[in-house]
Formats: sequence, structure tokens, C-alpha cells
Amino acid sequence: MASPEMLHCLSTSGNVAGNGTDMTVFERQRVRMKWQQEQFQQQQQQQQQSYFGGNEFSMFSMGGQVGQAQQFHGLINGDSAGVGDLLGRAVKADPGLENVWPEFGKLTMPGTGFNVENAGFESAGILNCSGFEMNHTTSRTSSCPLAAAEAKVRESVLPEKIASAVGRESFKKRKADKVQSPKVVAEEETKDKRIKGCAEDGESKITEANNNKNSTTTTTTTATTTTTNNNNRETSADTSKVSEVQKPDYIHVRARRGQATDSHSLAERVRREKISERMKYLQDLVPGCNKITGKAGMLDEIINYVQSLQRQVEFLSMKLAAVNPRLDFNIDNFLAKEVFPACAANFPTIGMSSEMTNPSYLHYDPIQQVATCGVEMGINPAEIALRRTISAPVSIPDTFLDSCFTQIQPSSTWDADLQNLYGPEFHQGRLMSFPSQAAFTGPIDASNLKMEM
Amino acid sequence: MRPPTSLKKEFLKKWIMGLQLCSSSKKEMSFLERKKAIKLSADVAMASARNATTRWSRALISNASKDDSNKGLVECILGPESESLKRASMSLVLCNKRNRSKKILRKSCSIRRARKSSSQMVMASSIAKRLVKKRTQVLKSLVPGGGSMSEFSLIEETLDYILSLRAQVDVMRHLANATELLNRK
Repeated sequence: MASPEMLHCLSTSGNVAGNGTDMTVFERQRVRMKWQQEQFQQQQQQQQQSYFGGNEFSMFSMGGQVGQAQQFHGLINGDSAGVGDLLGRAVKADPGLENVWPEFGKLTMPGTGFNVENAGFESAGILNCSGFEMNHTTSRTSSCPLAAAEAKVRESVLPEKIASAVGRESFKKRKADKVQSPKVVAEEETKDKRIKGCAEDGESKITEANNNKNSTTTTTTTATTTTTNNNNRETSADTSKVSEVQKPDYIHVRARRGQATDSHSLAERVRREKISERMKYLQDLVPGCNKITGKAGMLDEIINYVQSLQRQVEFLSMKLAAVNPRLDFNIDNFLAKEVFPACAANFPTIGMSSEMTNPSYLHYDPIQQVATCGVEMGINPAEIALRRTISAPVSIPDTFLDSCFTQIQPSSTWDADLQNLYGPEFHQGRLMSFPSQAAFTGPIDASNLKMEM
Repeated sequence: MRPPTSLKKEFLKKWIMGLQLCSSSKKEMSFLERKKAIKLSADVAMASARNATTRWSRALISNASKDDSNKGLVECILGPESESLKRASMSLVLCNKRNRSKKILRKSCSIRRARKSSSQMVMASSIAKRLVKKRTQVLKSLVPGGGSMSEFSLIEETLDYILSLRAQVDVMRHLANATELLNRK
């Protein structure tokens, strides 16, 4: 029941609207989970490791399903150097798993284009399996369904990225098979065990992620060898090192099989993975970076993008200087001449806010209006109405605008005041009140204006 | 990370403020002067929109404040927190000097290290490393204040910087279009 559904989730998650990269990453993650649960068996397979960076979770927005949401974000060491690594990982049953889930619901990220797919099934399934896990005492944990899982994975409908990753992994597995004496994998595969395997990995990731959320510098992989104790294949798991420290400010890292296990290379690996995690975000930001996987190539793209953006700023500032002979950005002009038709149309339908006094609002308004209109041209009118809090007499805006046309001429009084700006007794509020003060006959409190800004 | 629209709004607010200050202070400005003023206020506004939470913004502000003629403008745009912000950015400058001297030491030591040579594989990886290093150098020169960042923080800063640059470009473009439309009518 699990596997077809899981794979179904994999393919459907791709249909969820969102970034192509996200989908493949997510699916990659799922595939990796399956691989990892095959991992700590007798069959030492080469495998990509999933790793959670520290601060990244603050960037993820979780959609909630049933109040629980998670998103796995895995890391693949894309460089050719990292491809040949093995992951040995054993996962401990975490009885406190249920407590971990609600945490994820709180994580939010304002849009950088990341989408959340949550297979509700997934969470439910994994939760169920944690029960399995706790009761499970036999030696043959998830050794069984490896071949089946792998076969299933191969059969499943996956985008080419996954397919290539899977192909790579299966190739490695074959290599590993040759290396080792072929041990018989008992075909007791039950889908339950596979799910359980996934659950274990899910738990490990969740505990990892949870800890990451808690302390930015800690990533934990909890390992257990209890469930595979009676196996002599156990020895393979033993070759990986586990560092378990209770203190929160240690970084727990698992060494991969076949790699040096001293602290230097471990730290090196952590660092490298953090960096590649970040590069992934950059990939999503910079357009056209999806096909490039090497660090150098991506850096190149990033450099080009930043340079082009900077050049655009230069060009635009030149354009503005050319268009504006006097540098008078008379915002009110924009509104009056209905450069932003959406805004003007919305004038009558204004909502109100009662917190501040009239004059303050009117001062705040032009800038706000330009901000809303100029910046969010297509924005939905409700938002504009909300923002533009003009008080009851609607006629005020028109008169205000008319009067404002004449006000931005530097007057002698203004000059004198402006001198003070640069002088020792510089008053912040004075500057802000300048542009619109002439328009107001009423008393304007400088502090009011300060409050706005 | 703040939602992009609020970032744009804040940027626009501060930018217009700075521009109005510029325009009211000088009667006649040449084209270049205007362009410089526009760009400067835009940059400082963008940096202050981040409120000195990122290194590049602090570096930008400190660079801008170094020039005395800009100081007043910078202070206005920064607003009431200008003092603390400036202090933060000043410390960054001192940090830079320390890092620079460390790097000089490191470079002089590494030159003496023997170069491993040339089986094909080692060459390839060392070439790749050199490429990456060169490009990181370029990126460091692009991002303000990037000279003293580790590789990891450089990438983070670049992320944030790209976002802010994008917002800035968007707002500026809108304003330019609006002004154009206005002039046409």
C-alpha cells in the first residue's frame, strides 16, 4: 500500500504549482530516503547524503496539512568529487517524534518561489511507522526490501534528474555488490518494512531539522545500531562514526564510509554542504542557472547577474536624471495626472484607519500611494484601499493635490531650514515635513511625521 | 526575509526622501551631478532598508558616509537610527583592515608551499579550484564589503544583495516610466 502511494505522491508532487527545481529536489529527497534505508544494511551502497543546513529552515515556508507540514530539502554534492561517497547511517527510533511535527507548522518563508508540497499521506505514513519502529526488535530491519525498493524506484515515473540520480545510485550499488561477497538478501520484503525504513530516515531528518531549527549550528543525526544488532552486517554500519553529544552547540556529523573520519574532514564536509545548500538558493534566484551544476559555472552566472543588475541601476539613474531636469519628483503629479489609473479609480473607495491624525496621513499618503501604485501596478484594489487611509471628507485629496502642485519650490524659509539639516542641531522631523508642509494649514507635529517614517 | 513588496515600499519611501532633499538643496545640477545624486540616494535607501542587518548594507553605508558631502544625505535617509548604524558600519571597516593584514601573511606563507604536481587528475581538480577561487574574488569585488567575508557568508550576502538589487531596479524602472509618461502628457 505504501510504495505505489509513495511513488504516486512523488509524481503528483511534481504537479503542484511551483518551481521545477523544487519539485525535483523534493522528489530527489524522497528517493534518497528510500536509498538510505537500504543503506545501513549488509549491502554497502554508495549513496548521496542528505543533509540539513542550519539556517535554511527559516527560509522555508510550510504549508500545513492537518496542522503538520514539512519539507525536506536535501543536498546533493553535485561535484564529481563527491559523487563516490557512501552514506552509512542508522536511525534511532524516536519516541518523541510526534512532538517534532508541530514545530514545522510554524516555519514560514515569504516567497522566494519555494513551494511546499506536503503529501499528507507521507506524514501519516511515517507517523504510523514510528510505531512499527519502536516495536521492532528483529535483526532484519530493512535489509529486506532493498532490491525491491530499488526496483520500484527504477520503475517509478520520475523526471530525468531523478532518473539520472537513481541510475547513478543503482550503478554504485552494483559496484558495491561486486565488491562485497554477494550476501543473500532475503526477500521478505514487506512494504511495511520499507515504509519503516523510510520512517526511520524521516525521523532522522526530522530530528535533524528540528534541532536545526532550534539551534542554528547543530545538525544531528541520531544513530542507532540497536535494530540491526544481531546482524553481522552490522559491521558495515560500525564503520561509520557517530558522534552523539548532548550539548546543543556541537555539530553532529556522520562520516561517510570510505572517507577519513578525523574532525578536519568532517568539518570540511559540513562546510561544503552548507555552501552547496546556499548555492541552490542562488540557483533559484538567478535566472537560467538550473542547468549548471558546477560551482565555478554557477559563480560565473551569479557574477554576470549581479553585474547586469548593477549596470541596470546605473542606466536607470541616468535615465531618471535625463528625464528630470530639476530632480523634482513631484509624486502628487503622478496621481493627479492619473499616471496610475488604478490608484485614481480607487480614490473614492477608501478604507479608514483611525489611529493617526489627518495631516499626518495626508503627508504619508503621496509616498504611500506612489509606493503602492508604482510598485504594485497590478495589485488588487483591496490592498490599495487598505493602505490609503484617507479620512472621511474625500474631497480632501483633490484639493490637497492641487495645492501640492505649487509647493515644491524652494523658498527662502526652506533654504534656511535646510541649512540646519547639515548643522549640529539637525532635527529629523523637519526634513520629513518639508515636502508637504506647505500644503497643510493645520498644525503638523513633527513627531507625528516621525512616527510615519 | 521580508516580503519583496514591503522592501520595495520602504526603499521607495527613503529614496524619494533623499531625492527631495537633494533637489531642494541645490538649485542647478548638472546631468552627472543629478545622476550621482539619484544613484547615491537609491543605494543608501536600499541599504538602510535592510537596517544594517547585512554586511553589504553596512559596508555601503560606511562607504557613502566617508564622503563628507554625502553625509547629510545619508543621515537623513537613515533616519533616527543613523548613529547606531554608522557605528556598526565603522566597526566593519576596522575589521576589514585586520583581515587584510591576515590575508597578506597567509599569502606569503602559501607561496613557499611546494606545489603538488601533475598527474592528470590532480591538475583537473586544481584547475577547478583555481577557477572557483578567481570567481569568488570577482564576486567579492562586486558585492559591497565583500572583501572580508568567508566563502559561506559571501554567498549569503550575495543572495540578499541580489534580492535588494532586483527590488531597486524594479522601483527605479517604474519611476522612470511614470516620469516619462508624465512628461509626455
